[in-house]
Amino acid sequence: MVNFEELYKTYWQKIFRLCMGYVNDADIAKDMAQETFIIVWEQLPKFRNESSISTWIFRIATNNCLRQIEKQKRFPKSEMPINLEEEKPESQEPQIQFLYQCISELPEMDRVIISLELENIKQAEIANIVGLSDANIRVRIHRIKEKLTQKFASHEY
Amino acid sequence: MNTNINFNELWAKQTSPPPNTENLLVQVKKLKKANLRKLLLTNILLLATSIFIILIWVKYQPQFISTKIGIILIILAMTIFLFVYNKSYSLFKNGKNWQSNKDYLKDLLAIKAKQQFMQSTLLNLYFILLSTGLALYMYEYTSRMKPLIGILAYVITALWILFNWFYIRPKQINKQQSEVNNLINKFEAITKQLE
Repeated sequence: MVNFEELYKTYWQKIFRLCMGYVNDADIAKDMAQETFIIVWEQLPKFRNESSISTWIFRIATNNCLRQIEKQKRFPKSEMPINLEEEKPESQEPQIQFLYQCISELPEMDRVIISLELENIKQAEIANIVGLSDANIRVRIHRIKEKLTQKFASHEY
Repeated sequence: MNTNINFNELWAKQTSPPPNTENLLVQVKKLKKANLRKLLLTNILLLATSIFIILIWVKYQPQFISTKIGIILIILAMTIFLFVYNKSYSLFKNGKNWQSNKDYLKDLLAIKAKQQFMQSTLLNLYFILLSTGLALYMYEYTSRMKPLIGILAYVITALWILFNWFYIRPKQINKQQSEVNNLINKFEAITKQLE
């Protein structure tokens, strides 16, 4: 039986980064990561080892990211106090911030794919999480990395 | 210019302290309670109305068959509404979120299309059943009134129903549809990214 506390410890940072790459907003990313673990907690008894636990968790997390648009409508960003958005204690280094900003500006599926790749997940597993072929994932990762390198170059990092 | 940026290393530097698990579980409970409350409230409200109508039937023993049919139609309208409302709730609850992104998006689109259909069809059905039911139900009581007052009662009710049908119903449908349509478009756009 898989222990929830252990999963939480192992995956919290990974899931948080995934969400952060998707929205580039620490508060929203934290909420999304929490939502993911709430789903994990609820669904864990139903987990049947059909896939690895890592694939299973990342599927839930990425699917939750994809549904984010439904929630954004409920809490329009413009209604939040502006000063709240300015404090971002999570990452001080401008390079890190720039990386997450670039990723969050990609098309949705590219955000998911590159985030998983940067989390050092094997490409075969990424293919399994997303539902595309290995070859397709490889090509996409290559293209996204090229795009990111270009952006970094033009930003003189 | 540095072309050898280690993205993986940069990526991993972003961290956030995990909230403790107790907080998380408190949230789970809160969320469940809020959902359940909403579901219960709608159910109780409509059930109470149905019971109230049935009590009227028992207490006043209507003579005309039209009254009885009217009551049945009204209750039927509310029952169908409740049934679909409760069903659509579990539709979302059971989203198979452990599937691959591709399959999950396909599922979401199917759910949204179903929701879109249900919302407009259901609302139309609800209005038709309710108005017909009301018109039939009123007949027995208005027939005992003076003709002029009886006609007036019908005219006022008809105006009210027409107002609902031509103003409130399309407005409600439009509002729901535009929300769902937006989401469908967005999910379709994401699905296209996978082609």
